[in-house]
Amino acid sequence: MSEFEPKIVAFFCNWCTYGAADLAGVSRLEYPPNFRVVRLPCTGRLNPKFILEAFKRGADGVWVSGCHPGDCHYIAGNYYARRKFIVMHYMLDSIGLEADRLRFSWISSAEATKFQHMATDVVEHVRACGPNLKFRKAPLILGMEEVA
Amino acid sequence: MASDNTVGAVLVAGGGVAGMQASLDLANAGYYVYLVEKSLAIGGRMSQLDKTFPTNDCSMCIISPKLVEVGRHINIELLTLTDILSIEGEEGNFTVKARKNPRYIDMSKCIACGECTKKCPKKLNNEYNENLDTRKAIYVQYAQAVPLKYGIDAKECIYLTKGKCGNCKKVCPADAVNYDDKPEDISLKVGSVILAPGFAPFKPSDFETYRYYDAKDVITALEFERYLGATGPTMGHVIRPSDHSDPKKIAFLQCVGSRDINRTDHGYCSSVCCMYAIKEAIIAKEHAGGNLDVTIFYMDIRTFGKDFERYYEKAKAAGIKFVRSRVHTVQPEPQNGVMIHYITDGGVSNQEFFDVAVLSHGLVITGETKKLSDELELETDHYNFAKTSTFAPVALSRPGFYACGVFTGPKDIPTSVMEASAAAAASTTKLTSARSTLTKVIHLPAPVDVSGEPPRIGVFICHCGINIASVVDVPKVVEFAKTLPFVEYATNTIFACSQDSQDKLVSLIKEYRLNRIVVSACSPRTHEPLFQETLASAGLNKYLYEMANIRNHDSWVHAGHPAEATRKAMDMTEMAVAKAALLVPLKENIIDVDPTALVIGGGVAGLNTALTLSSQGFKSVIVEKSDKTGGNANRIHSTPKGESVPEYLESLKKKVEEDPNITLILNSQVNKADGYVGNFVSTLSTGEEIKHGVTIIATGALEHKPSEYFYGKNPNVLTQLELDELIKANDPRLNDAKNYVFIQCVGSREPDRLYCSKVCCTHTVHAAIELKKRKPEARIFVLYRDIRTYAQKEDLYKEARSLGVIFVRYDLDAKPEVLEEDGHLKIKAFDPVSGHVLVLSPDFLVLAAAMVSGNECELAMQFKVPLDQDGWFFEAHQKLRPVDFATDGIFMAGICHYPKPMEEVIAQAQAAAARAATVLIQPKMTVGGIVAEINQNKCSGCGVCVSVCPYNAISLDDKGKAVVNEALCKGCGNCASSCRSDAPSLRGFTNAGLFAQIASAL
Amino acid sequence: MPSLEETTQKIRETAKKALADGKAEVVIGYKKGTYPLSTAPFFARTPEDCDQLIWSNFARINLANYLPGRPGKVAVVAKGCDARSIVGQVAENQFHKDNLYVIGVPCTGMVDNNLIAAKEQRPYRDYSETLDTITLKGADFSTEIKKEEVLRRNCRTCANRTPKTADELVGPEVPGAQADDFADLKELHSKSPEERMEYFKDLIKDCLRCYACRNACPLCYCPVCFVDETRPQWLGKSTDPMDTLTFHLLRGLHCAGRCTSCGACETACPVNIKVREFNRITEETVMDEWGYEAGLSWEQKPPLTVFQPDDEASFIK
Repeated sequence: MSEFEPKIVAFFCNWCTYGAADLAGVSRLEYPPNFRVVRLPCTGRLNPKFILEAFKRGADGVWVSGCHPGDCHYIAGNYYARRKFIVMHYMLDSIGLEADRLRFSWISSAEATKFQHMATDVVEHVRACGPNLKFRKAPLILGMEEVA
Repeated sequence: MASDNTVGAVLVAGGGVAGMQASLDLANAGYYVYLVEKSLAIGGRMSQLDKTFPTNDCSMCIISPKLVEVGRHINIELLTLTDILSIEGEEGNFTVKARKNPRYIDMSKCIACGECTKKCPKKLNNEYNENLDTRKAIYVQYAQAVPLKYGIDAKECIYLTKGKCGNCKKVCPADAVNYDDKPEDISLKVGSVILAPGFAPFKPSDFETYRYYDAKDVITALEFERYLGATGPTMGHVIRPSDHSDPKKIAFLQCVGSRDINRTDHGYCSSVCCMYAIKEAIIAKEHAGGNLDVTIFYMDIRTFGKDFERYYEKAKAAGIKFVRSRVHTVQPEPQNGVMIHYITDGGVSNQEFFDVAVLSHGLVITGETKKLSDELELETDHYNFAKTSTFAPVALSRPGFYACGVFTGPKDIPTSVMEASAAAAASTTKLTSARSTLTKVIHLPAPVDVSGEPPRIGVFICHCGINIASVVDVPKVVEFAKTLPFVEYATNTIFACSQDSQDKLVSLIKEYRLNRIVVSACSPRTHEPLFQETLASAGLNKYLYEMANIRNHDSWVHAGHPAEATRKAMDMTEMAVAKAALLVPLKENIIDVDPTALVIGGGVAGLNTALTLSSQGFKSVIVEKSDKTGGNANRIHSTPKGESVPEYLESLKKKVEEDPNITLILNSQVNKADGYVGNFVSTLSTGEEIKHGVTIIATGALEHKPSEYFYGKNPNVLTQLELDELIKANDPRLNDAKNYVFIQCVGSREPDRLYCSKVCCTHTVHAAIELKKRKPEARIFVLYRDIRTYAQKEDLYKEARSLGVIFVRYDLDAKPEVLEEDGHLKIKAFDPVSGHVLVLSPDFLVLAAAMVSGNECELAMQFKVPLDQDGWFFEAHQKLRPVDFATDGIFMAGICHYPKPMEEVIAQAQAAAARAATVLIQPKMTVGGIVAEINQNKCSGCGVCVSVCPYNAISLDDKGKAVVNEALCKGCGNCASSCRSDAPSLRGFTNAGLFAQIASAL
Repeated sequence: MPSLEETTQKIRETAKKALADGKAEVVIGYKKGTYPLSTAPFFARTPEDCDQLIWSNFARINLANYLPGRPGKVAVVAKGCDARSIVGQVAENQFHKDNLYVIGVPCTGMVDNNLIAAKEQRPYRDYSETLDTITLKGADFSTEIKKEEVLRRNCRTCANRTPKTADELVGPEVPGAQADDFADLKELHSKSPEERMEYFKDLIKDCLRCYACRNACPLCYCPVCFVDETRPQWLGKSTDPMDTLTFHLLRGLHCAGRCTSCGACETACPVNIKVREFNRITEETVMDEWGYEAGLSWEQKPPLTVFQPDDEASFIK
């Protein structure tokens, strides 16, 4: 495969988008295999540092998805998260991260097709951005990596 | 054991949302539950809904955690495909005979992979999608069904009917298909019975009027709901069925099969259709991106519930048209669409073309349910709803039988859920001697202490038959896993979830001294609890477990790319191992629970809560602000069903006074509240300090004092409660009065009080009937905006009209004008039907004054519970937790939550008692697990975590540092992501663990 | 406008009164700095101490930085921006409002020494200042510089020059600047992502990661800063450009809805990086999204600790 295959880290909340991904599986809805999912209890758990860490380590894209506003399993977790996303989004956009590298979405556990379309769309947009060369750490030459 | 023959088990018939809630409350309060469901799976009607009003919550998202909870509850025995044959005996000791119909699938073997469905050649109408698409003869009811096990439709299966095919058996990787399955008759011993059989939607096909039987573009609202649903036949895309084009104009026709005695004998109002029509209209408009005209043809809009009126206004603002009219003809157009012919309330005849006409069909009791009622000798009303009294709203006519949901009358989800909890309480008042005699407890071996040991990770890669292995190169993943840090042992397994694999897992843990387990298989959402139980049974802390979802998120969705799928499975396994290496055993702590309830408010709600709790054996303290109990009910004469309220109140108060479990403290209120679930300490205004495990807020509401219509200025202008007092006292002024005018919505449904007070229409109609009966020549006018006599209360509206009560509608912008001439009242009201202004000179003007909240800000602050924008106490979830606050251990009952009639108040009071009992039953409560903890060395005390915690679980201690109350924390992690110095950490989802996952993902 | 001397006098009187009335055990203010064109923080505990307090065009330090964790009753001299920081600290429980007495100084802006150096490169021996001018005196010259021309950039666009939450003001209110604080950011937004990233990478290329900006910031009071975390390690210890960028991004995010544009960070930076640029992005966001400006009243709730169910976020798909 000569085409560039992007690596994408996805952060899903357990109750909605992770469930939608499960349902997409049950329904055998195919989508590109380019992302790896980190399961969170709630998008409210998403520390902005996680997004930066993924890019720093060389992710070509990051996708964050949770319950629709109002559907949060933890009453209001995604409302607080949304405010963090807003600040994060404008910050990264302002300093010149290509908008298509970072996706936020709301996908309920019943929306398997939305999940499939979104997954495909995320991968296509990140692919179009090309490899993340600017917003990542230079590889360490020394053998000792930082302790994770 | 109980010394008598009382049985500590309850039968719940019906696995819809009401039956599920009742089962959970019972099982969590020490009773064993047999949950009987006719179909393949639980979930009921709610599982078919796309969204729920008025929050537009995703229905499946909110119901599926409950499905899973019911499915996994150790004290709920789920009997699917089961019919009840007979119930003999009496309250305390019934024998239930039931028949378990064959599923033809061995539930213990089926892994729900769906291979069978793929190969089944038989296509059938899919009932879940209202027959708008197809399913196979072997199927699951819906993708998230519980139990997630396939079943064969025996009447349609080619093998079972003709002896040919057998495809499913051939392809089943788990050998779960059993064509020889037979019906099995069982006998169950239970102490009481809760019936929650639900409803069927009204079928318009039998009635020519609606042209549903022949016009493609006339559909039912439930069909429309499925079109809106993401899992529906068009995956959420709204179509015009005749040509699958995008509709531009949609009409909703209200009251189809409701409020209709001409053709259907359904004189009742179905209570939910106005709201679901508005909901579907809003969602459809959203789906269409605004490019859609929606018109709702209605008689009265009945948005009487909490936040419903605001929803209605929102719909109007969104451009949804509401046309008050009678539709007389639905005429299909030659090609597509329909012409709707209607007459407005001004008498003008009109017609309009629509692409789709949606019939808002009502809720109906099925013949099968009616038959069940008859067989069980339960009284029903003339609409086949089971009869209940206002004062015992969930008790049926036969002792030992209780009900919840639509069985007793049309109602929405929160009211059904409330009744479900109420039924759980009511059905066990006679069973307390047998509580906890039949429930099971899990006994676990003493946990092995692994602290200090280096991680020794065991990795199990599941084939899931061929579900994973046909795509992912499992041996390659196993070999890769062996190379990962800290991995001590890695192997593959055909079915990780099978009993023999679980046993093997236990022995391997011991043999290799494994102290972390990673399973790469299916979804943790469905299988994590199972594996965690296995860990626990091997003595390993259940939190030393991590899962990689290489089936749902990998092999099932990348079938065409095996190499990438294998790569992904390796990455996912690596991520899980990386996280697992950093997992630590999580402690679960035990806290004491004070088995006393504090009930704030001594009205009907408070008294009923305390009495119900007492009947369950729990003590309570009622704190009442005034010098007497009874609250607003002291002023009410009778219920709409004709029952005497004073008599009821007298006996209620007497029972409370005589009850040794209840302490009543009058003339007092709570001044200070501390503590948390299990351990509250409240200080009363009397100085008394009360320790309690739960708190029930039942502070009631007030009747609004109108500032218009000469109220307070003319002695003949009364509020409803004032009229009731006159009726109750047989006041002589009523003997001379001949003319009455009632004005509805005084202070309700106005911009600054945008809610319907729910009870006033019924109250007015009931009072009008009473006055008419006392003096048939009395002339009574009711000036109203929409008459909202919902459910069977519609009969009263009909009765009032037949007795000659005259109803005149008014609009908010043309309110009736009240004048005073020489002390006499004169009312001018525009009648939109005749187009004339009526001039009325009543002896009495009765105002249906709004119900307003008691301004409980202080109490709300003391217990840190929220009020909504109208001042009502705000529940944890408007649909599924209508009695609970988000903060554990605090509940609400009665009209401090929202205006409601007495039967609903009492149901909510019983529900609050049931919910409270689930806490009080536990002498010790387990808390902890996946909760947040604070590293106080890093804490600056800035309080951001305190602000963002949705559960009030974090507070600042006396050193000004944050501290988590594990009893309240639900583990969302909002604190951990909001803190700048990372002082809070969410156990099980630590920064280090998640970082390790990110690192190994790349 | 009162002169610098008049304001100085007023500060001293107010400070003495605050001590005498028991409103404070210590007054935190400014004294003349050891270096030219500077002031130093000063803790006045006696009436005599108070006579060392001054007002100056070089009172750049944000004295709120000395409040968190300080015991006892404290009076503090505060400019508009400093007073806003104090509100934030009180809201974040870093100092109890009851123990606080804010001596507000309506401020016409502070001077950026780099701009002075650009105007007069010759070595000077002495200087003097008035409210509107700075005069540098060398061996053979005397140059008068208009303060207006050498204001710090945050002072040029400051809309909140008069402390709104002070217990007492030592002078008449001064009007805020009318300039659009975010004009340059808006221009930056119109550039391509590549140009924006170049701009920011270039901006921080000299950063030493000395954390002087953090130390000068009145909002950076965490017991353990994320830069010092080891498990997990959020940032490498080297000056890898991405680690450096991450530091500034996270500091910007941490200051969202809290930064008051006091400029302490930029003043502290030894290599003259416009480090406030990152904070300004979040400041602009909270202003645009929620109409929020930090520290203007005691009642306001920081925007990331609250929400509205209908918060707009059209970028979320």
